[in-house]
Amino acid sequence: MPIKTEGSWRARLFPNNEWALVLVIAVECAIFGATGRNFLTAANGFEVARLGVELGLIAFALTPIIITGGIDLSVGSMMALAAVVLGGLWRDGHWPLPAAVLAALGVGLAGGGLNALLIARFRFPPLIVTLGTFSLFRGIAEGLTRGIENYSGFDPRFLFWGQGYVGGLIPTQLFVLVSVFLFYAHLVHRTAFGRSLRAIGFSAEGARYAGIRVARQLACLYVLSGFVSALAAIIYVAHLGQAKSDAGTGYELMAITSVVIGGTSIFGGHGTIWGTALGLFAIVILQNGLRLSGQPAELAGVLTGALLIATILIDRVVRRPKAPQVAQMNAEENTEVRNSQIAVLSIVILLAALIVAGSNWFLINSLRRELRSATGERATAGPAAHRTVIAMMPKAKGDPYFISCKQGADEAARELGVELLWDGPTELDPAKQNEVVEAWITRGVDAIAVSVENRVGISTVLRKARERGIKVLTWDADAERDARDFFVNQATPQGIGYTLTDEAARILGGRGEFAIITASLSAANQNEWIKYIKERLAQKYPDLKLVAIQPSEGDRDRAFAETQTVLKVYPNVRLIMAIAAPAVPGAAEAVKQAGRRDVKVIGLSLPSMCRTYIHEGIIESIVLWNTRDLGYLTVYAAQAAATGRLKRGDRQLEAGRLGRVEVADDEVRLGAPFIFNRENIDRFDF
Amino acid sequence: MKSVIWSRYKRELAAAVAYLALLVAVGAVAPSFYSAANLRDLLVNNAPVLIVATGMTMVIIVREIDISVGSQFAVCSVVAGLLAKAGAPIPLLIPALIAVGAAMGALNGWLIGRLRIPSIIATLAMYVAWRDALRWATQGAWVQGLPDDFQWFGLGQSRGQWLIVAAAIALLVFFAWALRNLRAGRALYAVGSQREAARLLGLNPSALVFGVFTLMGALVGLAALLNAVRFATVPSNAGTGLELKAIASVVVGGTAISGGRGTLIGTLIGTALLGTTGTALTFAGINPFWEKAMQGAIILVALISEVALGRLTHEPR
Repeated sequence: MPIKTEGSWRARLFPNNEWALVLVIAVECAIFGATGRNFLTAANGFEVARLGVELGLIAFALTPIIITGGIDLSVGSMMALAAVVLGGLWRDGHWPLPAAVLAALGVGLAGGGLNALLIARFRFPPLIVTLGTFSLFRGIAEGLTRGIENYSGFDPRFLFWGQGYVGGLIPTQLFVLVSVFLFYAHLVHRTAFGRSLRAIGFSAEGARYAGIRVARQLACLYVLSGFVSALAAIIYVAHLGQAKSDAGTGYELMAITSVVIGGTSIFGGHGTIWGTALGLFAIVILQNGLRLSGQPAELAGVLTGALLIATILIDRVVRRPKAPQVAQMNAEENTEVRNSQIAVLSIVILLAALIVAGSNWFLINSLRRELRSATGERATAGPAAHRTVIAMMPKAKGDPYFISCKQGADEAARELGVELLWDGPTELDPAKQNEVVEAWITRGVDAIAVSVENRVGISTVLRKARERGIKVLTWDADAERDARDFFVNQATPQGIGYTLTDEAARILGGRGEFAIITASLSAANQNEWIKYIKERLAQKYPDLKLVAIQPSEGDRDRAFAETQTVLKVYPNVRLIMAIAAPAVPGAAEAVKQAGRRDVKVIGLSLPSMCRTYIHEGIIESIVLWNTRDLGYLTVYAAQAAATGRLKRGDRQLEAGRLGRVEVADDEVRLGAPFIFNRENIDRFDF
Repeated sequence: MKSVIWSRYKRELAAAVAYLALLVAVGAVAPSFYSAANLRDLLVNNAPVLIVATGMTMVIIVREIDISVGSQFAVCSVVAGLLAKAGAPIPLLIPALIAVGAAMGALNGWLIGRLRIPSIIATLAMYVAWRDALRWATQGAWVQGLPDDFQWFGLGQSRGQWLIVAAAIALLVFFAWALRNLRAGRALYAVGSQREAARLLGLNPSALVFGVFTLMGALVGLAALLNAVRFATVPSNAGTGLELKAIASVVVGGTAISGGRGTLIGTLIGTALLGTTGTALTFAGINPFWEKAMQGAIILVALISEVALGRLTHEPR
């Protein structure tokens, strides 16, 4: 027997060696406390906790499922479905908000019920069933909203559940997280039901012979998981202030990661809820800490992967199973929680939270600073030699469009001698944008410039930044007007939509069919442009016909395949309008390979990606602005705003090599969109 | 005899029936679906997925799973582009990419076969790690300005296209034969059914698992190269969602996720079914908003059709 019952407190508290995680969290805190600015503050501790809520809810729901040897991949998609049902019933169905919330929870129960029916009743493998519902739920959410609907403008009392603070410090949704945690901790560790889950995980057949009603128990768990996902969706909607069909994308994998890091065996049979909580915080703290210490966010993925493998390895080394099955059985038998132990366990969890939140020298300090900053003084008001820090966020870091913006931003930062922080979501993700801004507020910067993915959701946090005395700018895409000081405007959606339509009309001679290849069907920008394209068509070009709008998901290869299909299904199409940077070369390649010299491609993309196709005459023209100048101007404007050189009401701004740039009230104007074609393309090298 | 075929290949047949139903329905609504050009494009576009799904079938038969294939695919694509750009002779890319893929696969195999880390965890870790490492290294930039003979290996479009399809089918046929007739192929089923029993029979499960993952990696490397040469540039985000596509294709094709059972014919049908749906929907004039819901429904219908067609009495879960 590898683990003794008596005297081995470690084995009792941490049956799956979760102590390793406490160690990891402590190490993370030590490192980031030293390198990250304002990491070890109470405010940041609570902020970290807030970031983990939606993920945590899902991870708690997944833990018992994984203990039974099952899995639920549909949780993230369920969030999307519940979110759009909530938004749709409330706004379009004119339901009162509480009723809509109940309906969303009902949808969660129903979706969980479908999983439960297929898994528990028909005994299909959970992985396949939930892989199916993973597509199905999000598909329905997209279908219902046509990807476009973005429900916002919720009651502040509802938003309080995702954005408010109780007692001015503790985020509201933390209480939800703690309640669900306690519920699951009780369910899994304190009831006969919970104990039987492990039996099922070891051997479902054996459990059945032992008199456990396996099907019913499994059904319960999957229904609960649907319900908790819906609950997470409600918090998510309140947190971001919007409900859209892209809610919760990728949450399933993150949640599974936390559960597994937390020591739950993926094969079933053992695992603890507090292990999951520790795993969750290990990941969230890692992401937050990297951000505060200015490390590249991509490092988080690499380190999470390493952490996953390291925790499993530690488990392996410490456990050293000779006959794994037997060892696990015995460990299981001996490590079941006793009545007297629940208090000790709570203390451990509290301790972990305290390490993050406030068990440090800076607690008082930071509280004082909080108060000071609330009265208007800047949190980071340092000595006179303070170097201006400008934080700039793209919509997605990996997007070539934003990479060329960054080149301009870097250039300006060098010229001005400011420190430029460049961070953002790795893929389009409105929730991540909020996280990054929160981290910057905590870290303390002089100016924040954001290319906004989600207008409503981010405005709350931008206002918070302004209250702390940080200058807030938006660039590329605007937030709500009162949430920022200036908007660096390169082109309005109307300008883009109209220019593209006019260009299409010019090429087609005013009549004919064309098709659009967009980014994802729920992409906010693209949908805005399409709206204006349709408006322009109705106004001015009755003979131009838009026959299809196909998604490319920001994937060149997908745009290629979609264009191929469109060309065959609609043989009269003479023009493809691709309105996402990677989609334009994809569409052009499809036209080229199909040998359709009669079809032209236009769109919105980077000159460098399209140059060869423009020379070959496949792409007629692309509409864009000088992206490098956009990044350059944004840094100049941010620096000017932070140092007080740029104030509301100024007419112009001196911006380095761009000379004097027009300022209109609170907008800094880059100029009109530009049309790149065969004549001028070689003059641009971005 | 008939009933033997029926009971043994019931799942494959269920998928085939679903596929036929889809084909008939599309044929009725939009006969132009059956144009030679469309069928050729479908083949070419799905050939890389088929290669990955071929490897995935073997991984799942041996009762493991590989979530990292999409990320490996992206890394291999970029490596292919960089090598070509650095002036490596184009034919040399084939062994080079197989080696790069095999190396990444071997890392998985070592973690899973040797260190006995559950495959879902090891490959989940690699999925995150490779994708983010690539993002970090490329900063999202595409590989552009490739030599002219990169696209289609310099063979021209029509010959290049058939080369890709032929390679995918040759691999499928070879591995289908190998799974049936080679010792190692049969050993996969044995290890997938009962690892311990297989070990007692004198097989070496660890080595076999290592081998399967290395092979999986090699196939991913090859698939990434064959996919990349269809274009003149290499994006840095290739293969997003490929892992789910491949797993879904395999599973719809009747391979048991619990290991020990599955055929590559089934995988071929599964890949064809899932790879055709999107195009078929567009031909049928159905709004793309419903595409994802349809994909999900197909997976579930493929499952349920098995019940409808008569459930096996003692099917392992």
